[in-house]
Amino acid sequence: MEKAKYLLLAIVCLAFAGCMDGDWDEPSTTPSPWGNNSIEETNVITIAQLKDKYSSVFNASVDQAVKVDEDLQIKAWVTGNDVTGNIYQQISVQDETGAILIGISQGGLNGYLPIGQQILVNLKDLYVGGYRKQCQIGAPYNSGIGRMDKFTWQEHFKIIGDIDTAKVNSLITDFSADMDMFENCTKLMTFRGVTLSEADGRAAFAPKDGSVALTANCANRNIDEASNVVVRTSTYADFAAMPMPTGKVNITGIFTRFNNTWQILLRSDKDIQPAE
Amino acid sequence: MQKKLKLAVAALCCATSAAAQVTGQTGHTTDMESEQAFTFTEAQLGEDADMTDNVIIVNSNSNIYASEVGYLFSPARFRYRALDQKYNEIFINGAPMNDAESGQFRYSQIGGLNNQSRDVEYSLPFESNKFAMPALAGSNNYNFRPSHYAAGHRFALSGANRNYVVRGMYTYNSGLSEKGWAFTGNVTYRWANRGYVEGTFYNSLSYFLGVEKVFNDKHSLALVTWGNPTERSSQGPATDESYWIANSNYYNPYWGYQDGKVRNSRVVNDFAPTALLTWDWNINESMKLTTALSGKYGMYKSTKLNYNNSENPQPDYWKNLPSSYYNVWEAGDEANTDEALANWNKAYNFLTASKANRQINWNRLYAANRGASAQGADAMYYIQAKNNDQLAFSLASSLKTDLTKNTSLDMGFVLSTTKGMHYQTMEDMLGASIYHNINTYALGTYAADAEQVQYDLNNPNAVVREGDRFGYDYNINVNKANVWATYTFKNDVLTGFISGRVGGTAMQRDGKMRNGMAKDNSFGKSGTARFLDGGGKVGVAADLGGGSMLTLGFGYEAKSPTASESFQAPEINNNFVKNLKNEKVMSSEIGYQLDCSWLHANINAYYYNMTDVTEWQQFYFDNINAFSYVSLTDIRKEAYGVEWGLDFKITSAFSIKSFGTISEAKNLNNSAVRYMNSNLGVMYDDICMNKGMREYGTPLSVYNVGLSYHAGGWFIDLNGNYYDRIYLSYAPNLRYQSTLEANGYFDGTDYTVPEQLEGKGGFMLDASIGKSIYLKHGQLSVNLMLTNILNNTKITTGGFEQSRSDVSYKDDGSVNKERTYKFSRNPKLYYAYGINGMLNITYRF
Repeated sequence: MEKAKYLLLAIVCLAFAGCMDGDWDEPSTTPSPWGNNSIEETNVITIAQLKDKYSSVFNASVDQAVKVDEDLQIKAWVTGNDVTGNIYQQISVQDETGAILIGISQGGLNGYLPIGQQILVNLKDLYVGGYRKQCQIGAPYNSGIGRMDKFTWQEHFKIIGDIDTAKVNSLITDFSADMDMFENCTKLMTFRGVTLSEADGRAAFAPKDGSVALTANCANRNIDEASNVVVRTSTYADFAAMPMPTGKVNITGIFTRFNNTWQILLRSDKDIQPAE
Repeated sequence: MQKKLKLAVAALCCATSAAAQVTGQTGHTTDMESEQAFTFTEAQLGEDADMTDNVIIVNSNSNIYASEVGYLFSPARFRYRALDQKYNEIFINGAPMNDAESGQFRYSQIGGLNNQSRDVEYSLPFESNKFAMPALAGSNNYNFRPSHYAAGHRFALSGANRNYVVRGMYTYNSGLSEKGWAFTGNVTYRWANRGYVEGTFYNSLSYFLGVEKVFNDKHSLALVTWGNPTERSSQGPATDESYWIANSNYYNPYWGYQDGKVRNSRVVNDFAPTALLTWDWNINESMKLTTALSGKYGMYKSTKLNYNNSENPQPDYWKNLPSSYYNVWEAGDEANTDEALANWNKAYNFLTASKANRQINWNRLYAANRGASAQGADAMYYIQAKNNDQLAFSLASSLKTDLTKNTSLDMGFVLSTTKGMHYQTMEDMLGASIYHNINTYALGTYAADAEQVQYDLNNPNAVVREGDRFGYDYNINVNKANVWATYTFKNDVLTGFISGRVGGTAMQRDGKMRNGMAKDNSFGKSGTARFLDGGGKVGVAADLGGGSMLTLGFGYEAKSPTASESFQAPEINNNFVKNLKNEKVMSSEIGYQLDCSWLHANINAYYYNMTDVTEWQQFYFDNINAFSYVSLTDIRKEAYGVEWGLDFKITSAFSIKSFGTISEAKNLNNSAVRYMNSNLGVMYDDICMNKGMREYGTPLSVYNVGLSYHAGGWFIDLNGNYYDRIYLSYAPNLRYQSTLEANGYFDGTDYTVPEQLEGKGGFMLDASIGKSIYLKHGQLSVNLMLTNILNNTKITTGGFEQSRSDVSYKDDGSVNKERTYKFSRNPKLYYAYGINGMLNITYRF
């Protein structure tokens, strides 16, 4: 029995041996582990300057894309991303002068590029171009502009500071259907006091039941007050199956263009609020 | 030890009685061999419920094929006759130990208990035993009685480069005292900061405590309890492209760096404390009653990195791989533009630039979660755990009766009740602040406010915090009863047995969440499914004289489906699999044994036929970004093959041996399939064109030649094994008729069914060398086992086809276009370890 005590002692000691996958301390994420922190702020231009510089490319009647071969940078806030799945593999960024889309072939962008995040983008060797006159930064796709691969993207941007939602809210302006499309496209704006034509309390934004025609997995919903404006929603959006609100509403979103049609991309269903 | 070795060698080389061919064996190969077999198994195999690599340990004193192959071929995850492990039944003191839900026994439950697991009664499929009707893949009954262990201390220290690198083991057995008491205790610790595969660790304590009181010649009572709290991390399978990029067939995508430290996303915590009370009653000289009551509370938790509203963060996700950009299989593909090639290079350069780039980047996951939280979104990445807890009790009793000198009748019953508790928990939110118990797979298909997206309508939109249950929570209750009897006889020429059993199984699901996909059929208890099953076996051995013997065996059995394959989508609803039936198994075997002074030979041929087989699986179906719950029913299968064991005794110390099998095990028909996907909750019925698909994850052909030298306390073995015809787990969904039709593999008359993918076989050289030394006080044994000495790292041990199609689809289900990445050519694989070894030093006193 004396010897058995040693055995018991050994068991008790070993029972207190610690586990190896213990609680992990949360790592610091400053500087951000995403992007390229070696990018220095050197040749920053405004988005308006960028659009002017490449206006012929963005406005080309046949889609095209050209490589930026100068050391140019833009510094802007993320205004729209894929947080609800409505915007897919794109983000919209905006500074005080204008806004543009960036196409990135990657899911889950909203985690490291949340709305309100300021980023510095090094444009050298990226492409700019227009898709049906919608300006975008990305990579060539066919003859026009498409998304860049994630490896390239990670080399070309830097996260700056913390998320500033208030800043993005301060960028929101009111939309009017007669605005200059080139200057204003991609901006985060609000279209006030409008009615979704097909909203009847049941019709959803982008159902897959065949009740609405789909183009590239998206449904366009009309607005009574403007014939050149639609609300465009992906069938993959979290709110795709939600019924559209009826009555007068204020619609906030990323105002993209498809030639001469405004296409509002909602960032979430909360972007539509009853008009006061 | 020397004496034991000599005896054991003699046992292997000399003639055995005809009785041994068909009646129960108390399995004692050499001490070292069983040590190797057990150690290999408990160290490397059968520990992961997600892997189909469970081996079957069979053994025999008379059939040298069966006695050797269990451990000899275990580096290639060999399964006896390519059978599922559920057909191999494990008992301890007569109490059943196979899991009542899966039907399988996990050797990890007795891991580290090498010293307690030596005394085993083995019976092959057509050998009778004293504890049950022999199972289709054999039955083992471990003897866990303290009075049976040799008195003394035993200390063993081992070093290895396998799942663990260090093992320490201490055992004390008191032996039976004059007052009739026997005590035993064992403690084992196994550890690795890094196992054979990078990113894995191992941390396991095993204990065993027992006391036995022998009251008198008639009665004894033994109480033993054991368990092994184990924490370990896993290796994930990968494609050959990933292995090539990493320049290692042991690349492990499951780990990554967090602040420079290695963190594995898949950690298993496993602890199943078990207690067993055994009462032995020697009623008289010819009758003995053994009754065992066992209780177990198992806790199994396995973590995994999951994601929501994002791309799969697994570093070897196909969209990260070069071949997703450029079609490396068809240079002429029109998608192979200069840009595609440039992207191939970017991906390749990124993944090869540093090891960190091809592992999980934990810091990025934390950063992304903080971004998601700032927007009010749910955690994008999180560690969840699958929990499979189980409370099980069994009562087993067997009565052994010697009717005459040459006949005996053994009979018994087993009652068991099991409550399996299955639920998912949130383990680590990786810096995120919120998560909700919502079916994100269904969001979009159903509106955010629809009932269908709720995992639990009783607590809709519940906030999930670390430690909380979410996703699913249900119990599976299984009650079983079984009675059996075996009659054995022998005369001068014939030895034989006839055995039969009748059993009943009842099973039920008890849902703890009201899933929105099945709001009236998920919370609370399901109906009860009841099955009556049973069957019989007969085996005969005829002594032909001159050391020759002919054996015959035949069995037929109806076997109830296991609970694991009986519920259609247990994570969602209470539905049983449609058309659930007992499977019927016909088994037969013919064998020839020759025993002479220079040769011991066994040659066996077998044929098994199974009908009404049910199989069930669940997998993440990439095509639809949701889980798919799949039941296959009405399957017909057959398995047949030849096995040989030859032992040429060249001198008293030196032998040349050969073992091998050439076998076939495949489906005979196309089976009915019913599936349900977690994003829609609708059942689909189809036909799965799986005729001809083979059993996977085990070599169907194995050839061995071995040299053996056992003399003067030395014990040297060298074995060359060639493994061949290793198939991979096929993806049923790629073979649904509807899928084949949509993908253009149906010409109106015939279907073109994709061939099942095959792994690579190859040659492996193993060696073992041991020496026992008698000291002034005690005995020292040193043993070195080396596996895969030639470091062949190209042998596949298993894997599976990826479930995703090579084409993308439009919303109407028609084909959109060919993908650049070819899932059909990129199965996920596991490779056998390269050179690995284990050194054991044992001191007994």
